[in-house]
Amino acid sequence: MAGSSGEQDEFYLRYYVGHKGKFGHEFLEFEFRPDGKLRYANNSNYKNDTMIRKEVFVTPAVLRECRRIIADSEIMKEDDNNWPEPDRVGRQELEIVMGNEHISFTTSKIGSLVDVQSSKDPEGLRIFYYLVQDLKCFVFSLISLHFKIKPIQS
Amino acid sequence: MAASAGDVEVVDFEPDDDDLMDEDAAAHADASPTATAPKLRSAVTGGASSFAFGETRKTKGRGFREDAGPDQGSRLAARDFDSLDSDGGPGPQRCVFTVEGWIVLVTGVHEEAQEDDVHNAFREFGQVKNLHLNLNRRTGFVKGYALIEYENFKEAQDAITMLNGTELLTQTIYVDWAFSKGPIRRRNMGRSITVSIIGQLQYAVSEYED
Repeated sequence: MAGSSGEQDEFYLRYYVGHKGKFGHEFLEFEFRPDGKLRYANNSNYKNDTMIRKEVFVTPAVLRECRRIIADSEIMKEDDNNWPEPDRVGRQELEIVMGNEHISFTTSKIGSLVDVQSSKDPEGLRIFYYLVQDLKCFVFSLISLHFKIKPIQS
Repeated sequence: MAASAGDVEVVDFEPDDDDLMDEDAAAHADASPTATAPKLRSAVTGGASSFAFGETRKTKGRGFREDAGPDQGSRLAARDFDSLDSDGGPGPQRCVFTVEGWIVLVTGVHEEAQEDDVHNAFREFGQVKNLHLNLNRRTGFVKGYALIEYENFKEAQDAITMLNGTELLTQTIYVDWAFSKGPIRRRNMGRSITVSIIGQLQYAVSEYED
């Protein structure tokens, strides 16, 4: 299976998006650790809500797929030098270790492609923008399936 | 329900949590990272001796140069993460909440696959309770993986055994478990953790010898 050359390499992924405001430190964060632990945290104090934290061990197959998603995006070739700095509106962090490369990007929140296109590095930021969406999809599916979270049936 | 004004941070972290990613990193907190190691509080670079690649790793990004973001070090450090009970051994983990379920991961899915294609291939082994066939957010095609839930272990195991390495829509798919009961134990990881523990024990023993 493709990717076996990367099997012995280190892999780590962490994504954070959040801001501080009227409802406290509202953020979403998830992390894939090399030992397969997936941790997810979502916090808000909106209407006195409290933090949600979930964790589960995923298999090497899941880590491999995560690596493939990241490799396909080519995010490891990018740099956040010209990306907008985090601001009052919010902050995003993406940290990835793959093999002998380690990236740690921070930037502001991205509202839409308009923000991407009007930035100083639209190509790189676009890659980041879509990768984050794909990773969120993956993580949300894993977490919601494992913890059996289903929409409320009326 | 007055919203807290301005800067009060109302998050429920245990006050005695260290600025460490988690309990594993705590044991290695004293191991000083190499001079060029980035200022990150993640478990990977927190000095944990099992990941000895720091010196040769290329680093890139603002995250290495800036101050840490809010609560960094404590956001994922707290110990009260929800998880489902397991005995910690290897092997697939069952999903127990109100209903039991077993989740398999399918990779190598053709980008034009429809949910029906996947459903039809997998329903042969049991009723598909849940199917996630996520899309590539940029192209609108299928991203390439699917997550499928069966009600019992045998159905899921059969699907894995029979479909792993077979073809779906002219492309080879791989089918495996998605979740496991405990951490992945790689040979390297195990060995170096053992070494560091033995090292510490020897040191502790020698302290008491007199």
